[in-house]
Amino acid sequence: MTYRHQEEMSPPPARRVTDVAITRFEHVYEVEPALMTEHVTQQSFPNWDTLRLVRSRADHLAWMHRHFAGKVISGEELLHDLDE
Amino acid sequence: MTVLIGDPVLEELRGILGPEHVLTGKADRLNRARVPAPFPVHRWAERMPDLVVLPASTEEVAEVLRLADALRIPVVPRDGGTGLTDGAVPLRGGIVVDVKRINQIKEIDLGNRTCTVGVGINALKLNEVLARHGLIYPDDPASYPCSLVGGRIGTSGWSLIGSRYGHTRDLVLSFDHVLPGGRVIHVGDGIGRKITKSSSGYQLKHLFMGHQGTLGIATEATLKLFPKPEAEFSPFWAFEDYDSAYRAVGALARAGVATFAGAVLFDEWKVDYLRRDDEAYIPQPSSVKALVCAALYGYEDEVRAGGRRLLRIARSLGARYLGDEISEGDWAARHDRYATPLHGRTKSGQVVPMSWHCEDASINYTRLPAVRLAWHEIAARLRRESDVFDDWGMFAYTNGATGADYLTEIDIGIWEQRLDDTAWAAWVRAKRDLAAVTLEHGGSISACHGSCREGEVDLVPEELGGGYDVMLAVKRAIDPNNIMNPGKYLLDQAYAEEP
Amino acid sequence: MPDPDERPEKEFAEEWRDAAYNCFSSGHKFCREVCPVMQVTRNESWSPTAFHANVVAMEKGELEVADVAADYVNCTGCGACEVRCPNSLFTGDFYRFRTRTVDLVKAVRGLAVEQGVHQPGWRRWNQLTDERRHEPVLDGTPVDQGRVRDWAEGLELPIGGESILFVDCEAAFVRTSVPRSVARILSLAGYEFGLMNEQWCCGGPAAEMGYDEQARRFARHNLDDWRAAGVRRVLVLDPHDYITFTEDYPRYFGDAYDIEIVLVVELLAELIREGRLTPHVPVERTVTYHDPCRLNKRKGVWREPREILRAIPGLTFHDVDRVSQWSYCSGGGGGLPVEKPELTAKISEQRVGKAAELGVDTLVSACPWAERPLSDAGRARSIDVVDLHELLAESLGVSP
Ligand SMILES: Cc1cc2nc3c(=O)[nH]c(=O)nc-3n(C[C@H](O)[C@H](O)[C@H](O)COP(=O)(O)OP(=O)(O)OC[C@H]3O[C@@H](n4cnc5c(N)ncnc54)[C@H](O)[C@@H]3O)c2cc1C
Ligand code: SF4
Ligand code: SF4
Repeated sequence: MTYRHQEEMSPPPARRVTDVAITRFEHVYEVEPALMTEHVTQQSFPNWDTLRLVRSRADHLAWMHRHFAGKVISGEELLHDLDE
Repeated sequence: MTVLIGDPVLEELRGILGPEHVLTGKADRLNRARVPAPFPVHRWAERMPDLVVLPASTEEVAEVLRLADALRIPVVPRDGGTGLTDGAVPLRGGIVVDVKRINQIKEIDLGNRTCTVGVGINALKLNEVLARHGLIYPDDPASYPCSLVGGRIGTSGWSLIGSRYGHTRDLVLSFDHVLPGGRVIHVGDGIGRKITKSSSGYQLKHLFMGHQGTLGIATEATLKLFPKPEAEFSPFWAFEDYDSAYRAVGALARAGVATFAGAVLFDEWKVDYLRRDDEAYIPQPSSVKALVCAALYGYEDEVRAGGRRLLRIARSLGARYLGDEISEGDWAARHDRYATPLHGRTKSGQVVPMSWHCEDASINYTRLPAVRLAWHEIAARLRRESDVFDDWGMFAYTNGATGADYLTEIDIGIWEQRLDDTAWAAWVRAKRDLAAVTLEHGGSISACHGSCREGEVDLVPEELGGGYDVMLAVKRAIDPNNIMNPGKYLLDQAYAEEP
Repeated sequence: MPDPDERPEKEFAEEWRDAAYNCFSSGHKFCREVCPVMQVTRNESWSPTAFHANVVAMEKGELEVADVAADYVNCTGCGACEVRCPNSLFTGDFYRFRTRTVDLVKAVRGLAVEQGVHQPGWRRWNQLTDERRHEPVLDGTPVDQGRVRDWAEGLELPIGGESILFVDCEAAFVRTSVPRSVARILSLAGYEFGLMNEQWCCGGPAAEMGYDEQARRFARHNLDDWRAAGVRRVLVLDPHDYITFTEDYPRYFGDAYDIEIVLVVELLAELIREGRLTPHVPVERTVTYHDPCRLNKRKGVWREPREILRAIPGLTFHDVDRVSQWSYCSGGGGGLPVEKPELTAKISEQRVGKAAELGVDTLVSACPWAERPLSDAGRARSIDVVDLHELLAESLGVSP
């Protein structure tokens, strides 16, 4: 909640996921930074900004569902029906 | 003819529209000389209009066209400026008529279930209002958040959920249309504003849709509305090879489920591309080579019943359901993941900002596999020639509920900053080759955007055959002075014999 | 014509090229319908897309900054375009590279000022701010250093201390009941804080209008003042200041910037959660909440204000979700009301119109800068515009 510059500029350590992707925050992927060294370089990205975008994305996707229909049917539930 | 600053035409236009709605600044003009489709940056200024007008009503549009026609000044209609075939880009200078200010909701007719709107309105914004009445206008292109009704009419656009609700041509019932000389007519089925079927006279509605602004300007449209769906179901499935996915998408589309709104097939190239940066596919095992998704809309009981049927079909054809999270997330993201520049990669894998080219042919189901291979081959040739091009993979989307044909899309990344004359020439050649493959397989060059860009447009006369001659005759009859969007669709030929 | 490679526009484009091309290469305008200025003008020259494309045109020698400086006035800095842009929303975190319209607009305004291209209203505003150390918030309201703490009269707040409350110019000189409410609430909760020794304008407005040198000078003063008094923590009630302190100051001061910044609405929500504040006086109003752009769109802060509203007894709350509100704005930001008050008024009218459709009698805001234009528009529709902090104070039984 409190903004502290040092903390914001220190992301969690990176873990490799594939040849081209890493992860720092749980369930959040990032490009392998080595791929952004020649033509486009990464911006300074405080942690709050990463988390803001991740959460906004989720909010936006939920909004888009509501925008088109009253509710979303679960495929897992329907598959379960098929198995009965 | 070009209009120079200080020209008396400017004064007349200011009189018609008010001075603040006649723009002559260079930035005003440069920003209406572009659409998202890739084009060499160093040639940007070649396509500048001389001036821009921002009318607010049908009458103002009519007066502008009357003046332009009398003085033989080219006119280019522009709405959202999201079109991908350069339709809203002036080739001969002149006046850009930017209709975004004509965006009022004039009427919501609950009894006949229609609404009447200015063509500068966006469907998402309209639907925010219609939702209060439990209604929806279901024209859902990937450009849903940004395309506008006038551009949908000007292109006769394609909708992601068109298999259930129809496409723009089915959803727009009628509209006011300003002819090049300034006369205002109303086109629809017959004369009615809200008639959905008529056999009276020629069926002009189709003619005045998809003409890319070469026959005049639509200003106010009456749209067909539906109940906002109670439920949505959008399963995504993974496959271990393209052929199984291809068989599955065909079976799903042909199943005849009433709530079926569309299905999409993603090929191996598309899956590889998604693995670059899509959170849903980065963690997928390498055995995933192709994907299919479907979408259903309607009442909950109907959607459940239809959904079970489709799940059963998919399972019997070797599909693995990817789970609710991916299915829901990816469908809701259907508008947002196309024109993302940083998808671009050099051959060495470095990230570069690329523009998105979307080849959008209509191809019959049985021809999809062959077209796919031929197209990727063309993309591979481009990539071999230059780092400017990148194959972003293919989608095939159902055009209709019976599964006859598909909007078949190859996405090609183009690094516009490096698009020099040589690369551009290679691109135009490739465009022509892509279109030629389409025609060889009995397809149509464009399912949604139109086909007036360099390269593809050369093959339009071949696609339409004798129909193209009719097109020339119609153009000459309706726009005798060739003021409407001149240079598009090779229509200058219509005036060849004139002195 | 000057040497093409030494044109200031070219140099500018060196720095901004990647950001500009990241939009130019998309050009898809998902940002258009959420942009408040576009909504009321429908003029594509004033769209986020154009703001980026112009940089490419400047690089190519097609435009000079003087050609476009006036176009860049038409932005409230609301951040809607940035968050809605798929290049932020869908891939910004992945690439650590997102759309930067707000920064770009500020930078072009800065380039214009540097090149001697001024907007008359903005020049005057910043001159007066420079003279008085505070913004000339409202004609006729005396603004000077001697009165910057007048709003706190009778509250007996200490000067200095580990935590201080920073009060923006609009709140300090015009909307004084807002900071008074905040001060009373914090005291009620037993939260210790003081005031600044010599507070100057945060510098954010100068930065937004392109007067960078002045913005930095003001920032330097404030930071030095905090350091001298041993301040560790700055409480901020104004979303605009919150942006300045968490985005501009870190850019100016780098790693040496070690002041904690606390947003008051977040703090208040926490104090309610912890039971240190319990709203109990019923407030009989039918309300909706206006998400301040700088909280909702630019910072992702939208939950806490709603938590506070839901804790107030007596309120009937018709909420509009945060995503729908990406396209709402008061029109009060980014210097727009100084240069183009008529556009601000249109944007406010539109915002209040949305509230009217809900059948509410009150629009609650959490941004002092939004409240003046919204109140003006609200009068025409008999909708009260009330500040969230004041509403909470009322329910806590503390009068400003
Ligand atoms: C990310 C993205 C995704 C897309 N996805 C789809 C999709 O799924 N389906 C699809 O169909 N398209 C899609 N498109 C293409 C584009 O959005 C459509 O072609 C759309 O219909 C164009 O609308 P517009 O308002 O932007 O029109 P513009 O680009 O302004 O104009 C398009 C054409 O119509 C003409 N025109 C404009 N207004 C009028 C008028 N009032 N009267 C007559 N003619 C007029 C113009 O001269 C031009 O030739 C996509 C584009 C993007 C950028
Ligand atoms: S700012 Fe984003 S949404 Fe708007 S045109 Fe640029 S890339 Fe597209
Ligand atoms: S910051 Fe807001 S006002 Fe400025 S361009 Fe973006 S959406 Fe428009």
